[in-house]
Amino acid sequence: MTFIREIISFFTFSEPNVKVVFLGSLILCAISGLVGTFTFLRKRSLIGDVISHAVLPGIALAFIIGHQKNVLYLIIGATITGWISTYLVEYITRHSKIKSDTAIALILSVFFGIGVLLLTHIQHTGAGSQSGLDQFIFGRASAMNQSDIVLFGSVGIVILVLTLIFFRGFSILSFDEGYANAIGFPIAWLKLILSIITVITVAMGVQAVGVVLMSALLITPAAAARFWTNKIHILAILAVLFASISGIIGSAVSYTYNGMPTGPWIVVIVSLLAFLSAIIGSKTGILKSWNLRRRNNVKILKENTIKLFYALNSEQPDNSGFQFSEIAENARMENTTLRSGLKLLRKEGWLIGNDRQGYQTTEEGKREARAIVRKHRLWELYISKYMHLQPDHVHDDAEGIEHVITPEIERELEEQLDFPKLDPHNSEIPY
Amino acid sequence: MMTGNSVETHNLTVIYNKKPAIWNIDFTLPAGKIIGVMGPNGSGKSTLLKAIMGIIEPNIGYAKIFDKDLDDVRERVSYVPQRQSVDWDFPASVWDVVAMGRYARKGMLKRLSAEDKSIIEESLEKVNMTAFAQRQISQLSGGQQQRVFLARALAQQADIYFMDEPFVGVDAATEEAIINLLKSMRDQGKTLIVVHHDLHTAQDYFEWMVLLNTRLVRVGPVEDVFNQETLTETYGGTLTTLSKVASLLQEKSFPMRHK
Repeated sequence: MTFIREIISFFTFSEPNVKVVFLGSLILCAISGLVGTFTFLRKRSLIGDVISHAVLPGIALAFIIGHQKNVLYLIIGATITGWISTYLVEYITRHSKIKSDTAIALILSVFFGIGVLLLTHIQHTGAGSQSGLDQFIFGRASAMNQSDIVLFGSVGIVILVLTLIFFRGFSILSFDEGYANAIGFPIAWLKLILSIITVITVAMGVQAVGVVLMSALLITPAAAARFWTNKIHILAILAVLFASISGIIGSAVSYTYNGMPTGPWIVVIVSLLAFLSAIIGSKTGILKSWNLRRRNNVKILKENTIKLFYALNSEQPDNSGFQFSEIAENARMENTTLRSGLKLLRKEGWLIGNDRQGYQTTEEGKREARAIVRKHRLWELYISKYMHLQPDHVHDDAEGIEHVITPEIERELEEQLDFPKLDPHNSEIPY
Repeated sequence: MMTGNSVETHNLTVIYNKKPAIWNIDFTLPAGKIIGVMGPNGSGKSTLLKAIMGIIEPNIGYAKIFDKDLDDVRERVSYVPQRQSVDWDFPASVWDVVAMGRYARKGMLKRLSAEDKSIIEESLEKVNMTAFAQRQISQLSGGQQQRVFLARALAQQADIYFMDEPFVGVDAATEEAIINLLKSMRDQGKTLIVVHHDLHTAQDYFEWMVLLNTRLVRVGPVEDVFNQETLTETYGGTLTTLSKVASLLQEKSFPMRHK
């Protein structure tokens, strides 16, 4: 029960430090989600990884020069080496035979290696072990204090405002750089601002999740959000939301289990969100495909049921109501299925009546019946002509395809077949 | 009808990886015409377009549009990039992409006005894509993607349009729709500069032609420059001495110009 008590104490901010941890993680994760949206859209995920590893030597150097853990110095140091690393990757790719994947691997490991060396050196001199520099590898949100939060908050607001101002610019830059350039957007400036924002976000974010996992916090929220939306604004909002949720839960867990690193937990949560998004959110996701199958089945049942009335109506045009048994006679479906089909059509307004009075098609129902029969017969004619099938081989295919033919395709069929009068069985095609 | 020069280039040279991609391109093109830019693969057609529009900084030489520097006429210049140059999985609708055409005038900050919106709708109408306005761009066919790019360029209401391979990977109906659109734009006095590589249609589509193979092979009215001799010169092979010199520049890291 201590676990639950701890969780409650976290979310009620009963300890003053909790509020700091909570706010800090929230701010850092939210900004990562926002800025990461463009890293994701520009396909710069690996560059994010380079930056997050390359901030380590900057942090260590800032500590050596400043002789203590001052978050502002650390961020400045981190920003400088992070910036240098992206510049080097770009320079190497452009001016040598080395391709970008190699350049990325090279720079990432060199900077990280130097960072670990410097960190080890600091810890050996004694001061480092108390200063908690090792937390930068995996991140520990609980090490943040109030003045850190003020700093993160103010820098975060600046980044938010810049992103909002340049949202249009960043979007077009991400979609079509050449066009953005051609219409006179200041591409060089936009890229510079975006990469400075990204480096600073990473430099701050490593406080919460550490250098190893920072790129996941940058990319995963946007990747998860992409499953839910096709609109870039909503993508950014969802990415911020997902990142914030992970930040809150991750820091709560890290607080509850004393000494548990924050970073891995945040990343586990955000990855879980991405996994769920992939299953539920996407078109291929389980929910969507269930839904789609259900809607398809409803459409098929409706069209198959109304089709029965086309035959009935043409045999007895002035019948004032067909009995259920009459309808069921020609129906190639279970009686229960037919009943639910009839119910659907009544709800749709294609049918009126009931079992006692019999069923009758409305004007709309007659039109729909003609439409489905027309599609069926057009398709029969089409495949008998273009697939060279015998007239007795076309019916089964048309039974399936008639439901999927859109009005545009129907028009195409009509034009290609020159508005035919008769199908391959010499039945009339109703228009 | 627009008269005078549309594009003028002077010794325009772009060097990729120490080797010239286009070399000393020197020409003057008229305004109000449909002008084809033709040449084999890797002959620098796209590079030429990008260098004229300032998307690539030329290493040597310069280009002028309507006798002015690019920055002074930017609003009058529109661009249709190669369809494959962007990721069509990007989270945007057809409308979003066409709206980018208006940002050329609005800049990064100003909101779109009602007039902008009606221009966007008109542009969609002209390429017959009105019904697809809210469609996600990843769901479009190749021909529809190309129409969207054209609508975006139309929405700019420019005077000169640079188009990079607008006929690649589109269906016959779209190709015909595009060429008819280009002709009606030309009739309104617009200048259209179109990178193209299908020799069979070139004569029907273009009034003027730039034949390119790293160097300029010919430029002029189609009836003057499009014949067996010039095509052999363009497609038949590179000038051996010229390409040897280009390779030497690359191998020995010689600068093309020095003080």
